[in-house]
Parts: sequence; structure tokens; C-alpha cells
Amino acid sequence: MNLNGLLKRTTIADKILLSILILLSFSGIIFVKKVLPASRTVQIEANGSLVYVLPIDKDRTVSVEGPEGRTVVEIKNHRLRVTESPCHNKLCMKQGWIESGAIVCLPNKVVVTIGDHEDEINKIVDAITG
Amino acid sequence: MRDKSKVESLKVTKSNPPTPPFTKGGRGGITKVLLFTFYFLLLTFLCACTSHKERIYRKSKILMDTFVTITVVSNSENSAGKAIDNAFSEIERLEKLSNFFSSESEVSRINKNAGILEVKVSPDILDILDKALYVSEKTEGAFDVTIGPVITLYDFHKKIKPEESAVKKNLSLVNYRELIIDRNKSAAFLKKRGMLIDLGGISKGYAADKAVEALKRNRINSGLVSVAGDIKAFGLKPDGKPWKIGIRNPRIPPNPPLVKGGKGGFSDDVMATIELNDMAISTSGDYERCFILDGKRYHHLLSPKTGYPAEGCQSVSVITKECAFTDAFATGIFILGPGKGLKVLGKMGFDGIIVDSQGKVHTTPNIRGKFEFKRTS
Repeated sequence: MNLNGLLKRTTIADKILLSILILLSFSGIIFVKKVLPASRTVQIEANGSLVYVLPIDKDRTVSVEGPEGRTVVEIKNHRLRVTESPCHNKLCMKQGWIESGAIVCLPNKVVVTIGDHEDEINKIVDAITG
Repeated sequence: MRDKSKVESLKVTKSNPPTPPFTKGGRGGITKVLLFTFYFLLLTFLCACTSHKERIYRKSKILMDTFVTITVVSNSENSAGKAIDNAFSEIERLEKLSNFFSSESEVSRINKNAGILEVKVSPDILDILDKALYVSEKTEGAFDVTIGPVITLYDFHKKIKPEESAVKKNLSLVNYRELIIDRNKSAAFLKKRGMLIDLGGISKGYAADKAVEALKRNRINSGLVSVAGDIKAFGLKPDGKPWKIGIRNPRIPPNPPLVKGGKGGFSDDVMATIELNDMAISTSGDYERCFILDGKRYHHLLSPKTGYPAEGCQSVSVITKECAFTDAFATGIFILGPGKGLKVLGKMGFDGIIVDSQGKVHTTPNIRGKFEFKRTS
């Protein structure tokens, strides 16, 4: 059961094979952890149901219907904003461009969120009161 | 016979070994190393793909005219989703019963029958009214669900403040002692015509309590329900730490309300953080529904004695087990002001943080050391 003795007796081909297998196993971890979770996404909900899940890296403008009318969301340069809203106070539009977090329009029941798993981990607080 | 066959099979093995045992230089050694490697790979693969690890799942929905977020710890996305949806349904059910603006709600039925007859109510509305009256007693009437006739005179969106005469007239209809509840008959009655109950100061906290009960019924052992600023936390996060709640800085108001973009979520607007385990917290602030007219701030936390916004505080946070109480006491203590407010907190044995109108922070003795101040600008 002497490991040193065993290693001395292995051929170069055995060692190469072992190294490749170990490398493969680590690349598997990296693949699963890094590549599989898709890039940051934009989720747009209207009136309680999810309407769009879009990648943040593709520029586009979409509109959703809420109880008060049409809310228009513009995605550009990895940011987004609300450009049109039927609500009375237009707070969602006044928020301007955001790169993370969310824009909420309470009157028209529209929630636009940018997020990925990293955001959840990095969050300093779990909720806010006030 | 049986023993004999065993001996025979052993003999066969002995006389004809399949592979040599693990000896120096034998190919069996390599095979073992390869087997170890394979085993290691298999373990790594299983670890990478396992779905049994506990994770945080979060969903948000607009309910009770506000942003509701439910967070749970679960080892399955499916069961987390189901539990959260059940909790949302529970909040929706309570919203239907307590909605001030819907003519179908039980609250509206009580209001329509004010001064006429008593109204049969569900156990939930009875429970909310019972708790509301308790808080009214403990806050010397500063928290009062019969504030309806005065609060309807204000329009916080259109920045309309009422005439003094109208406030005076409607103030005579505000008195929690004239809200009668009959626990045996499960009924409620407002004594005077024109009286209106508005459960806005307690129903969100109550809904958070009920949503947590719904999550627990669905075998969730750890989670966080946040109905606007009324938050109830239970259990611990997957990393073994308690839930961390930020308390908004009353003079860096969110623009727009509730959620603001920025690295790591909301941290920009937070004045202090506190860790909660099996506790609830609510904050009432003069920045929530408000407008500024002629340099004066008009907010929704009206004194039932004057009919005008209370002036002693910028924000009040209350911490105790039940979110219905944190919600209602935060309002009541805000209206009472810092001096009397701290006394009430002391008597009740609740924790609290009061930011007075000058921006000075007052805390209950027990809470010191439990929360952390953030330096913002």
C-alpha cells in the first residue's frame, strides 16, 4: 500500500491520463457553476404574472399591459428604464436608468427586475423596512 | 451440503485468483488509482449537480397596493414555489376582506352599516379589530382604526389638504371606543353614522403574520415575508446566519418608493441594519405618503386628536414577535412622539428605534448593540 512506490512504478502515460482526468473534473465544476447559469436577465411582470424574461445584453424595447394601460421598458447598453407609463405619479419613469435592482410601478402593477444569482449572494440586507 | 459448497467455492478462488493483490509494481495498483480517480470524479460530478442543497428562493408580487416579497429557504425550487404561492394567496384573501376601497370587503360592510346595525365578520377581521383596539388602549388612542373620516379628507397624490372646518367636523367621528366588537357573535359595529374604519395601519403586518403561518404549514422552516415595510423573519439563512434587515434612512427617501437600483439592492438608503430571528419589524415614516405644501410636510400619519400629521418623529421602527403589533405600534408611537413613545415601548417590552424630528436617534435599552449603524453621506 505504499503510494510513493506506486507512483514510481506508474508510466508517463498513466500520469498524463491522471492529470487529464483531474483537470477534466475541475473544468466540470467550472462549467456547471459558471457557464450553465445564464447571463443576467430582465424579468418583467405585469398584474402578477411573468410576461418577459429577456437577456440584459440585447438592446430592445418592449411593452406590457397593466390594469391602467401600457408600460414601455427600454433595454440598452446593459441598463433599462421605463419610458412610458399610464400611472399618475410617473415615479417609475423618474427612476431613470438602472443597472441592477428593480423598477416597480404600483398603480399599473408592473415590476421590472434585473437579477442573477450573484445579486442574491451579494445582497447586504435581505429586506428593508421603512 | 451447504458448508461443503462454500468450502469448494473458496478453494476455487484460492486456486485460481482473478487478479493479484495490491503489490509493488503490479498493474492492480494502477487499476486501484484509476478506480479512486473514477470515484473522485463521480463524487465531484454528484456534488456539482446535487439539487438537495438548501438555497434561498424569492418571489415578489404587488398585493395590498404595495410590493410584497416572500423569501424562503428550501432544498427544492418546486416546493419553495408552491409554499410562496400559498402565502401570496393568504395575503390576497386578507386583502379582499380588509380593503378599504372595495365595496365587497368586510371593512366596507362595517363602514356602510355604521350607526345602523352590527355586521357579522370573519375570524380574521375580528382578530385584526381586537388587536387594533388593544393597541389603541396601549397608545392612549394615538393608534386608531376609526381615523377613516379624517384620512379621506386628504389626497396625498394630488397634494390636497383639507379645510380646517372639515377636519374639525370629521374629527368628532374618530373614536376607537365607539367601535364595538362582539367576540361571541363574531360581529363588529360602529356606533355613529359616518364613522369609517381604515385597517391600513395594521392589516399589512397581520397579513405578514398569516403568510408566515402559511409558509410553516408548507414545511418551510426559514423565511422572510415583507409586505412593504412590515417584515417578519423566521429561522436562519442557509449559511446559519439570521436574516438581516435594513432600516431606511428617513431623510434619504427612496425615489421612487420601495425599491431602488444600485449595487447589492437597497443598501444606499439604509441608516442601520438589524439581524432578526423569529421576530417582526415595522417602520412608520413621514416620507411614505406625503407632500410638502408651503414648506410644511403633510404625511399620512395623522393624530386622531388634531386631525393633522403628527410632528414629533421622522421615523419609528418597532420590533417584537407579532407583525400586526409592530405595524400598529409603529404608527401609534410615531403619533405619540419620542418621549411617550419610548415609555410605551418600555412598558410593552418591545424594542424600537425612533428618529425624532431633529434627526436624533433614540433606542430602547435592549436593542443597543443588536443593530449596526451605516454611515450615509
